[in-house]
Amino acid sequence: MQIYEDYKDHADFLTIYIREAHPLDEWRMKSNEKDKDDVCYAQPKTLAQRVAIANDFTQRFKFPVPFGVDEMNNAANDAYAAWPERLYILDESGRISYKGGNGPFLYDPKEVRAWLAQRYGEVKHAEPAPEKKS
Amino acid sequence: MNRTLLWTAVSFGGLVVLAYVGLSILAGGPKDAIEMLRFALPYMHRGKLKVGDSAPDAQLVALDGATRFHIRARSNGRPLVLVFGSFT
Repeated sequence: MQIYEDYKDHADFLTIYIREAHPLDEWRMKSNEKDKDDVCYAQPKTLAQRVAIANDFTQRFKFPVPFGVDEMNNAANDAYAAWPERLYILDESGRISYKGGNGPFLYDPKEVRAWLAQRYGEVKHAEPAPEKKS
Repeated sequence: MNRTLLWTAVSFGGLVVLAYVGLSILAGGPKDAIEMLRFALPYMHRGKLKVGDSAPDAQLVALDGATRFHIRARSNGRPLVLVFGSFT
């Protein structure tokens, strides 16, 4: 996540794993099955299942952004109307400073980058080189 | 009168078919349109939060599956970017 690498010295980031958007037992997407990573899960029924998928995600992609998992009562998801994906920025006093649209069509990381750039200036670090497969 | 009713029914039916075709294109196929209506729409909301509102402070679980923390506890006196999503 390039925005995180560019602005982690200025802002805090938190990824929040919420209920699956396209699990095997609900709205299954063919694109997930064709994906080289073969991302196919049933909708988690327990917190342990949800945490296991979140760990799989962070380990597969060596995901560097701090991570939290929504409880099974979907409290965070419901409070932020976040499903299937959404971006927010909270200011230093804990108020909503930016509210993105619902993904996938209105999910726009460029708006988050613009918010951060307006406050801290344009920051662009070199993207990390892809790992060589042995 | 019957003619009016007939045209109303035909028009309504046409609109339903058009909506279904449009939804199928948007969702990726006819089956996806049904599943979108069944599984996605109940969970997709614009939400009532507005810019300037106090941010809800829901509790989350850490990746160890046991530690709990609150969203706003992760802000160290700086703006906090929240990225909501799932694997699929």
